[in-house]
Amino acid sequence: MDDFGEPFGGVYPEQGRRAQDKLSRADIVIVENLHYAYPPLTPGGEPLPVLKGVNLRVRRGEFLALMGPTGAGKTTLCLTLNGILPHLMGGTFEGRVVVAGMDTRDHGPGEMSHKVGLVFQDPESQLFNMTVEDEVAFGLESLGLSPSEMEQRIAWALEVVRLPGLRKRSPLQLSGGQKKRLAIATVLAMRPQVLVLDEPVTGLDPLGRHEVLSVVEKLKREGEATVVMVEQDAEAVMAWADRVVIMERGRLVLEGSPRQVFSQVESLHGWGLAVPQMSELAHLFNRRQGTSFHFITEDEARSALAGELQSETCTGPRGSIQYPIPNIQYPVSFEHSSAVKVEDLWHRYDDGPLALAGVNLSVEAGDFLAIIGQNGSGKTTLVKHFNRLLRPTRGRVLVLGQHTTGQSVGQLARKVGYLFQNPDHQIFAPTVWEELAFGPRNLGFSEGEVAARTTEALALFRLRDQADTPPAILGYGLRRHVTLAAVWAMRPQTLVLDEPTVGLDWRGTRTLMEEVTNLNSQGHTIILVTHDMKLVAEFARKVLVLDEGRTLAYGPTRQLFQQEALLRQAFLAPPPITALARRMRLVLSPSTLLRINSAEGPYGLRGDSLTVEEFYQEYTALRRLGQGG
Amino acid sequence: MSFAFDLYVDRSSWLHRLDPRTKLAFVVLSSILLLNYSHLLVSAAFLLGIHGILWSGKVPASRVRWAWQRMWPITFLILFLWPIFYPQGNEVLLQVWRVRITTQSLLQGLSTALRVDALAFAFLVLLFSTDQARLVRGLVKLGLPYEWGLTLAIALRYLPTLYGIYTTVSEAQQARGWVIGKGGFIQRIKSYLPILVAVIVTALRLADNLSMALAARGFQSGTRRTYLRELKLGLADKICLPLFAVSLIVFLIVRFRHSLGVP
Repeated sequence: MDDFGEPFGGVYPEQGRRAQDKLSRADIVIVENLHYAYPPLTPGGEPLPVLKGVNLRVRRGEFLALMGPTGAGKTTLCLTLNGILPHLMGGTFEGRVVVAGMDTRDHGPGEMSHKVGLVFQDPESQLFNMTVEDEVAFGLESLGLSPSEMEQRIAWALEVVRLPGLRKRSPLQLSGGQKKRLAIATVLAMRPQVLVLDEPVTGLDPLGRHEVLSVVEKLKREGEATVVMVEQDAEAVMAWADRVVIMERGRLVLEGSPRQVFSQVESLHGWGLAVPQMSELAHLFNRRQGTSFHFITEDEARSALAGELQSETCTGPRGSIQYPIPNIQYPVSFEHSSAVKVEDLWHRYDDGPLALAGVNLSVEAGDFLAIIGQNGSGKTTLVKHFNRLLRPTRGRVLVLGQHTTGQSVGQLARKVGYLFQNPDHQIFAPTVWEELAFGPRNLGFSEGEVAARTTEALALFRLRDQADTPPAILGYGLRRHVTLAAVWAMRPQTLVLDEPTVGLDWRGTRTLMEEVTNLNSQGHTIILVTHDMKLVAEFARKVLVLDEGRTLAYGPTRQLFQQEALLRQAFLAPPPITALARRMRLVLSPSTLLRINSAEGPYGLRGDSLTVEEFYQEYTALRRLGQGG
Repeated sequence: MSFAFDLYVDRSSWLHRLDPRTKLAFVVLSSILLLNYSHLLVSAAFLLGIHGILWSGKVPASRVRWAWQRMWPITFLILFLWPIFYPQGNEVLLQVWRVRITTQSLLQGLSTALRVDALAFAFLVLLFSTDQARLVRGLVKLGLPYEWGLTLAIALRYLPTLYGIYTTVSEAQQARGWVIGKGGFIQRIKSYLPILVAVIVTALRLADNLSMALAARGFQSGTRRTYLRELKLGLADKICLPLFAVSLIVFLIVRFRHSLGVP
């Protein structure tokens, strides 16, 4: 671990401090007026321009975050940094990219890989060896290092990403977070001068996210690491980045410190990007109250808002305020009160460990249930029982009051629609129209009915313009919509959505969730499997927390997010705004209470807000009270 | 499920430590022996010996049982069909209509079945005790170009992945009311289309990403490649290899000069 002081090889150890300082200020990545277009998909077709004049400089030792909506060209930019573009794919390349003094026009990815370590988004395709050890060794073998040097570097890199002791394991056996960390180790061991991470935490469960981010933090804290990180997650970017660059439609449109960038809430939302919840809150106050808040962390928000209220924070008993909580009302359009009922359900995979151990659950028709928990906690195993993709080892499942035993997957498809995580696992038809017609046709409806349903689905999901397009060539967000529409076309009463928002940007997520909410208000039961606590807080009425195949908690969302200790057991945490509300513990001072002549106090924040809007409403209501309004 | 394609079982034994090239030589030697000696006793003795090797090489009995379970159907098929289609000799044991079962043909069937089993087990000794990376290293050492070796290794590595994709895709389509393999032959083939298209598209994406990942890890960077673990012949190899050579010569002499070992 002595090595760790200079994680990227300590390239200039002999030179004096001043020389090093000078070097450290130098730009290690220079991108000048970069234009790039992918070669046409079909012979004789048009090239596909993605980068349209990118200028970017990254200083040695800097931690740069690159954000942008889907299709902005972030990954493409990453691929130009080590010469994969244009060397591997061709296409038209103008301008120049120089990394660590090497121009990518003169040096292919093989040579550039000595200087630039690129970690791809998809772990599956970059872990191609049989053991963890061989995986790390692969790059070192390419460098032509001696076995003893390799041995040292493997040990070091696995130590950095906290995976020692798994050397003989197959990468296939690792968890999502472990796979990502291994992918980081494989390039880290090559001691590149620049590390490029393409969405390192996308699609990971909360624990995996935490594991990977703590490795990222370690890199930042301990070295002069130069890191370029593409990331959608605003909270993660805010925590680690020195500088944030926003990319949109092939151009860089905004850059600055996280504080500067995230204060531009409207522009960011306009580009389809998420902002940290604290920035969103500050923005809400500034827009509606004319304040000029610029907090981006919870601590800052707490002190700014406490001051604003001119009141006391206290650690006494939580106050309460007469603030209306929206009543949960179920549409009663369905005759069966229970959409899905699970009784003492156990499941064991062949030769595998127990995946479910006695789960009980009753989902009312028209409810909106979120199922959360780590990967491997049994979420997907549970929902696959609802349409009998899996059969119970013990226990039983009832759908709309009927046993699933004896019903085929096809029959259950009329009642339970299942949206799989990856749209590409579902899409196959030559046109969107055909894709949507597939389900109803399988259910044996007449061609007239199939056409009617397909047309309606196209309208409802705003896909009319794409009806004749092959779904496979649509953008990711649209592909997601096509798959949801295709499931909806079968009109199942219950919709199971397995991590539907992974890979979508903020706007894509909003649009999808609007549609889902819409379906829910029409009476469809929604069962959402997700790792995104903000989504759970905002949309779900009830939450089931699974932990190692057992129910850890099951209840209304608002109550659940109050139980932080319980959540922590499953490595979960409430969204930042709920955490803020819980910790604010803001009450009106006794003198204020006297002044407003109220004996019903103590008045204060309820501390269980689930959304930024809710927090804002409650806070301003409290303040109005305090001002005697 | 994910390891259904890897027969290797990690153990520490002389057999596991043996150089993959030595084990390959053993497979070649066994094949020559078994293809030239058709005598029942040779196959039986060989099988017995192989099980001794597996046992002393700490290959778990469950693996061996697994292999036999896979071998039974073919063994029975040969035992059953051989006497029917290759009637030899005059000692008729049983005659049904025009089908005659003779003692010779029965023995011939048995010896053929055992030979097939013995051949399979010669390969299984290699596969049970050699991890795929070492196996590929061995092949490369024997002159297979590195790129081919890598391709082979990657193909083996991604079999479970592709199988996983296939499973997920077929589940996704079943959830949309689609039914596998119904109707006549053409209908049946057609019914696999929704899976195959999605699997192929996904596999192509995977292949594309894989080629980029290889480049990002310095593959074909022009630097001469080194290896973390060089294969080195150990003491056991140095004993085995000359032994194999001598055995081969003895086998060939016995078989062709003295015409022994055939019934």
